[in-house]
Amino acid sequence: MTDRGSDPAAATQAPLPEAVAAPSPGPAAPLGTSQSSIVWGQFRKHRLAMFSLYLMAALYGAALFADFIAPYGEGQSFRRGEMNRSYAPPTTIYWTDPETGRLTRPYVHPVAPVRDAQTLRVAYVEDRTRAYPIRFFVEGRPYVPPPLSLVPVGIRNALGWDWSATTRLYGVEFPATIYLWGADQFGRDVFGRVLFGARISLTIGILASLIALVLGTILGGIAGYVGGVVDDVIMRLVEVFATIPSLFLLLALRALFPIEINPTAIFVVLVTILGFISWGSIARVVRGLALSLREEEYVLAAKALGGRDARVLLRHVLPGTAAYAIVAFSLLIPSFILTEAGLSFLGLGISEPASSWGLMLAVAQEGGIQTFTQRPWMLLPGLFIFIAVLGFNFLGDGLRDALDPKLRK
Amino acid sequence: MVISYVFRRFLQMVPTFLGATLLAFLIIQAAPGDFTDRFALDPNIDPEQLQRMRERFALDQPVLVQYANWMWSIVRYGYFGESFSYRAPVDAVIYPLVLNSMSLVVVSLFFTYLLTIPIAVYSAVRQYSIGDKVVTFLSFLGLAIPNFFFILVLITGVLLMQPTLREVAGSGTVLEQVLRPITYDIDRGLAFPVGGMRTSQVYEGLSPLGRLQDRMWHLVLPVLVVTTASLASLVRVLRGQMLEYLRSDFVRTASAKGLHPRTVVYKHALRNALNPLISGIGTLLPSLIGGAGLVEFVIRWPGITPAFVAAVKAQDLYIVMGLLTVSAVLLMLGNFLSDVLLGLVDPRIRYS
Repeated sequence: MTDRGSDPAAATQAPLPEAVAAPSPGPAAPLGTSQSSIVWGQFRKHRLAMFSLYLMAALYGAALFADFIAPYGEGQSFRRGEMNRSYAPPTTIYWTDPETGRLTRPYVHPVAPVRDAQTLRVAYVEDRTRAYPIRFFVEGRPYVPPPLSLVPVGIRNALGWDWSATTRLYGVEFPATIYLWGADQFGRDVFGRVLFGARISLTIGILASLIALVLGTILGGIAGYVGGVVDDVIMRLVEVFATIPSLFLLLALRALFPIEINPTAIFVVLVTILGFISWGSIARVVRGLALSLREEEYVLAAKALGGRDARVLLRHVLPGTAAYAIVAFSLLIPSFILTEAGLSFLGLGISEPASSWGLMLAVAQEGGIQTFTQRPWMLLPGLFIFIAVLGFNFLGDGLRDALDPKLRK
Repeated sequence: MVISYVFRRFLQMVPTFLGATLLAFLIIQAAPGDFTDRFALDPNIDPEQLQRMRERFALDQPVLVQYANWMWSIVRYGYFGESFSYRAPVDAVIYPLVLNSMSLVVVSLFFTYLLTIPIAVYSAVRQYSIGDKVVTFLSFLGLAIPNFFFILVLITGVLLMQPTLREVAGSGTVLEQVLRPITYDIDRGLAFPVGGMRTSQVYEGLSPLGRLQDRMWHLVLPVLVVTTASLASLVRVLRGQMLEYLRSDFVRTASAKGLHPRTVVYKHALRNALNPLISGIGTLLPSLIGGAGLVEFVIRWPGITPAFVAAVKAQDLYIVMGLLTVSAVLLMLGNFLSDVLLGLVDPRIRYS
């Protein structure tokens, strides 16, 4: 369902096969420079791509350390009585002392929900008499820090150690609350949930692309290298998959699984389905490359020396498609990020209490007109989808230029 | 020659169609549980519907026989099975959905092609000019912004203008006179409709012309969103193609002969660069249908995707299967059409 985003096959059309066929280094390559350092040197000249690289690194870093950066836990809500913070607006941070007017350490005022008697809307009124300084490296809700959090819960419990940490980057004391980007309907921190959502939104793309890449290169390689009936069967399969609009194929496959399943299971299901339906375009191009590569003399030499087919394919033919594969991989990721967001938006992807950017937008949309006029911060996750997709597109462009000898400067 | 090409291309669709429908059928068969038994016990299910399906589909037979029966009843009677959540035959349910979606997609497709060519030609002819840079920048933005987020932003914009427009509506000024005909409903402060396919309260009472006008108003925002998405990618493709052909030898020859620059650009470069755009109709259709889908969902457009999602959630499998089949057919027709067009404009393809 690439509603927007890039079509990896179309984006890498013409130049790459030549990149494979003519691996001569560009004019800038001195003797003894490895292929990867040439490519890296080229890539660094692409300013937008380098900027995107830093940006994506920052996003992934923030996602990895979301527990530490966010002041509250992923599902930590404030929705009862005096502590009701449903749809609380972004907290105002004060930098100056109200009496002297001089800079002080940043502080916030606690807010209290006040219901308007006529409109029945809840407004949040600041209590200017009390000030709570923003503290750094405070104690918060316990969490398991990365990389320990990657260990499955079952093993953690079996070992019985206490692996949790409680230090968080910033926070304020109760009853004050700090919401950099406002709160959602349950009074959960939108800033934190954007970071927690990044974990899912950004990893689904990579994992699903990996599956599509492996399936696509291997099946495409086999089709091109073996040829004959095998080729026919695989390519007809690609055609059949391409005949059903991928959004509907995705939805139909999703229908095979229960709607309400736990977040981990749905994550696995989504990654598998996405990878499974998207290998076709890669397979088609890899097949074309394999068709021409198998006529190369070095492949003939490998066969003449008695290499088995599987070995020749894996060691000699498929590496020749690497340049295409890397670019296709980097351009598939953004389309999967969009797809996951769309699916979660439709209510068929990641479900509460876990968070993902698409799901957060779905909540925003359910809020109706008020979302747009009174709590626009609920739309922020959309901006992150946008940034991530743009970043990956630039990265892919930079990679393609760097891997293409014709474009070397 | 052309006719034989069209005929050959048409025959090629048959195995693909069988493959795609078999895939759709197998996916549904893989759904857990024998659902006819489940339905037979369910008091909410209309026994007549179940009876109709049993007669047509031979549900106790092996899978392939069932598939053959299902296929036959579609081809022979246009019968796709029964929808248990709508309590009606599937074909009656999905026919209006498909029409509604196609109206959105076809209008968007029209505007996409109308705009792609001038923008891409301008951008390629004036490479690296300010205008070209703006186009490139915008097409990157257009690629990255999700459709459903873009429409949400547009709706926000329309709603934020609402109080101002309402004030204007009550003022009786010249501004009101100017704005009244070019806004959708100035008395409610809406510059554009923000949901649905028509104004449900008044639609039935409108004249045919009024109905058309009402529908066009509701098309504005979704068409804008769907068009920009496909426009962004097509402009990039066509610009790249144009740049390649503008540097080619035959274009240089044409210029050297002293042909008018316009003739060189449009008759020599563009004529060749258009090919991927024509074959692109085939690949554009699925992304248009999919991309329009999420927009349909946001603005409550009664199209394929919202119904598909509802059917998935309600496990209304025959609706899912019917929509899969119909969308595959639409896609194949799109591919067929683009191949025929390509064959018409490019003789090399016809003869190979």
